Amino acid sequence: MNISTKKESTALVVTVSGRMDAVTAPEFEKSISDFITQGEKAFVVNLSGLEYISSAGLRSILACAKRLKEQSGKLIFSGLQGHVKEVFSISGFNGIFKIYESDAEGLKGV
Amino acid sequence: MIKVRNLSKRFGDSEVLRDVNIDINKGECIAIIGPSGAGKSVFLYCLNALQPHNGGNILINGTDIADKKTDINKVREKMGMVYQNFNLFSHLNVLENIILALVNVKKMPRAAAIEKADKLLEMVSLIDKRESYPDELSGGQKQRIAIVRAIAMDPEIVLLDEPTSALDPTMVGEVLAVIRDLAKQGFTMIIVTHEMNFAREIAHRVLFMDEQGIYESGTPDEIFASPKKPRTIAFIKKLKTFNYNVKSFNFDLIAMCARLELFCDKYNIERKTVNDTNLALEEMITYILHHCYKRLQTPNIDIIVEYGDIDKKIAIEIVHNGKPVNPFENIVFMADGEGSDTEDLGIFMVKKVASDINYKNEDGLSKFRIKI
Ligand SMILES: Nc1ncnc2c1ncn2[C@@H]1O[C@H](COP(=O)(O)OP(=O)(O)OP(=O)(O)O)[C@@H](O)[C@H]1O
Ligand SMILES: [Mg+2]
Repeated sequence: MNISTKKESTALVVTVSGRMDAVTAPEFEKSISDFITQGEKAFVVNLSGLEYISSAGLRSILACAKRLKEQSGKLIFSGLQGHVKEVFSISGFNGIFKIYESDAEGLKGV
Repeated sequence: MIKVRNLSKRFGDSEVLRDVNIDINKGECIAIIGPSGAGKSVFLYCLNALQPHNGGNILINGTDIADKKTDINKVREKMGMVYQNFNLFSHLNVLENIILALVNVKKMPRAAAIEKADKLLEMVSLIDKRESYPDELSGGQKQRIAIVRAIAMDPEIVLLDEPTSALDPTMVGEVLAVIRDLAKQGFTMIIVTHEMNFAREIAHRVLFMDEQGIYESGTPDEIFASPKKPRTIAFIKKLKTFNYNVKSFNFDLIAMCARLELFCDKYNIERKTVNDTNLALEEMITYILHHCYKRLQTPNIDIIVEYGDIDKKIAIEIVHNGKPVNPFENIVFMADGEGSDTEDLGIFMVKKVASDINYKNEDGLSKFRIKI
């Protein structure tokens, strides 16, 4: 898994690529958690380069969302593709989170 | 062209081949498959008299190769051999390797031999390597040179012993392409191979060797799609499966996924199916480890992934000896915001990607069969 970030005026854009499974999900959770500690409150997570996600990945996302809610923060997703898009749909995650086609739309949605 | 009658071959007390019979016709391409140690290589070595046989006869165009009156060098000239490890002479350059036997054995004038070698090098697109030494070539290039060296002698039969198994996967294709070309040109060929798709594609006849001989033979479709005898059935079935065993809580998920990817590549399985299979495996293993075993127990989870040639579907079989629980009986999962109870999320997703799930508890083992 690869994580990169870009600071925009309304949010931090976090681009995640590779696989988010039982091995790598904690890494994602830790990065987001670190940004929250540093004071970030709004995230647009771009998953266009994510190839695979399992329930372990979804749980990490929920854990991040929970932490953000406590601080009235925001977790928004963009660019879901193929398998990841499908997993969001079958797990009902697309009902829980705001999902946009692109980062630009996501940033407007913050 | 080749007649083998009651061939037997022993090493000391161990009989590797017993009563092998086969006729091979001119222009035929024969693939030999079978488990390691079945005698496939030994059979090829007997055919070109690299190893003497102990009983029976081998007739090449009617000449008994073990007959005292037979000039074995004349017989060998008719047979080109290609080895797994290339066997090129490292102190000679490519051109010298190819013309060595032409000049010394066939007594061909050097100029004519070079002309011939160049033509063949062009055929395998390696003309610019004619002055190179074997060490300067990739594995795939070395093997193409070895093939050129074998056919330069105008053999009537080409014997190839696992010509691609020492190669890096990226180089297998270029060597298979050259062999495919030879088959098209109508060379009589016997190829021992583990490349089953290739065997299926080019062979006229497939020999499955086991139990000291040719255990079963037939057309590629007969052997690969509907083998008749138990050991052939087991061998072919195993080829189409991916096996993995989880013996620790810290099992190597990354390695398992990598091996699954390789398996799926081999059958050109579409991306969605690969991901769904991957997901089902990860979720099932995680669930079983955490719900069916205690922390101090040693888990034992057997996984078999099988690809059905006919329905083009993946079937996953999981067997474990932990506490028998059927997680699919009572799934509690509702996506209702950040507070969702995610205990059953993984199992819920398996149910979504599977087309059929079967659970049974038998002889103290829990068995799942999941179709993707
Ligand atoms: N020179 C030898 N001396 C003694 N035993 C031998 C010799 N060569 C082969 N064998 C034995 O003969 C049997 C058949 O060997 P062979 O190399 O033909 O197997 P194979 O089918 O080619 O296997 P693989 O797929 O691993 O290449 C093996 O049990 C092997 O140990
Ligand atoms: Mg062998």
